[in-house]
Amino acid sequence: MKVEAIEYGDRRVYSVAAFNRGVAEWLTRLPTVWVEGEVTELRRQDRWQSVFLTLKDPADGACLAVTMPRGQFDALRLDLENGERVHVYGRPELFEARGDFRLRALTIERFGLGDHLAALERLKRKLADEGLFANERKRPLPRFPRRIGLVTGNDAAAKRDVISSITTRFPPARILIAETYVQGPRAAGAIVDALAAICDSPEIDVVVLARGGGSFEDLLPFSDERLVRAIAACPVPVVSAVGHEQDTPLSDLVADVRASTPTAAARLVVPDAAELSARLDRARATLARGAAGTLDRERRRLDVARDHLRRAPLLMLERKRAALEHSAGRLRALSPKATLERGYAIVRTEAEIVRSSDELARGARVDVELGAGGFGATVEDTR
Amino acid sequence: MSEATFEDAQRELETIVQRLESGDASLDEAITLWERGEELYRVCSEKLDAAHGRIEELARRVEAVKP
Repeated sequence: MKVEAIEYGDRRVYSVAAFNRGVAEWLTRLPTVWVEGEVTELRRQDRWQSVFLTLKDPADGACLAVTMPRGQFDALRLDLENGERVHVYGRPELFEARGDFRLRALTIERFGLGDHLAALERLKRKLADEGLFANERKRPLPRFPRRIGLVTGNDAAAKRDVISSITTRFPPARILIAETYVQGPRAAGAIVDALAAICDSPEIDVVVLARGGGSFEDLLPFSDERLVRAIAACPVPVVSAVGHEQDTPLSDLVADVRASTPTAAARLVVPDAAELSARLDRARATLARGAAGTLDRERRRLDVARDHLRRAPLLMLERKRAALEHSAGRLRALSPKATLERGYAIVRTEAEIVRSSDELARGARVDVELGAGGFGATVEDTR
Repeated sequence: MSEATFEDAQRELETIVQRLESGDASLDEAITLWERGEELYRVCSEKLDAAHGRIEELARRVEAVKP
């Protein structure tokens, strides 16, 4: 078909219909491709020719309109629901009357187990590369949480197990419960919302994400990228208690701690009240013993210090006396003995040394010291 | 003399002893030094006796206070 333009001087102008026809025609040259996305806004009515749905990119929310002839769609017997992941094989086309761009589906396949596994593996690698699972990101859990947030399904088992495990271990525990879908296409978004609501509540110090065991598909919401990122961004530490020991949803990897059972989760988030009080008793006993011991030790140390204090001055005195006696000994040994030995003598009255005969009178009693020995004498005359 | 501390007197005594030991003092000087040394010895000895007395008295007083 030829697309005619109207000429205004040297400007070529197309009518809307002509433009749409031209683009539509050009689009037919594009190849038929597979597109992956989440089903949203699925519209099917028996009296309609076509089925409409919007395919949404789970990563960034980009949208693509899809149509498929109703007969073909029904023949696939997919029972599709909004939120399900699919592969659509189709051709891009333009609905000329409205200028709407859309993918004309030739077939739709539900995302299979293998696809899920492969997608999960890719997502896991991507998030690991971002460092979301890194050990450095793990936060320690509080020892005494003021309130514990519990995000869980409204199915009784998992919820009851976690609550009874926590309250058995620590009776005064306060738990805020957010019930949510934990299975099916809407679960991931619902869990993210529940987590946000819990975190907005006051005094929440830790969150437990709990779900009982289930099939691989049942646990898929716990590997949803939105939920994984929400857990990573959660302002308080998160414990993931999802599925059984052998299951490893991505929530387990991104959570600050993984618990394999509800009992294990309880052990992580609350202390054992019985053990706590036993430890307290022991600590008190030790404290009393320690205080008495310290007192005794200090008293003994003080006694020793006092003994030293008492002895110290006398000891010092003894040393000084010894030094003095030593000096005196040397002094006496030196007394002008050498001189005396050369024949000189020292004359004393009482204790004074006589230096001049003026100091003496006749009849005075003097002591004369010689090099060896000495004698007493009486002064006969002076000169 | 009473102003001098025990250490001053002791030091002076030691200086005198060394001077005497060197053997180059004259007789007069040696006798003067020796006299002075004996005096210093007496002063030092009295100071030690006094200190000893005070310490013992103090110890007795402390013992009396403490059971």
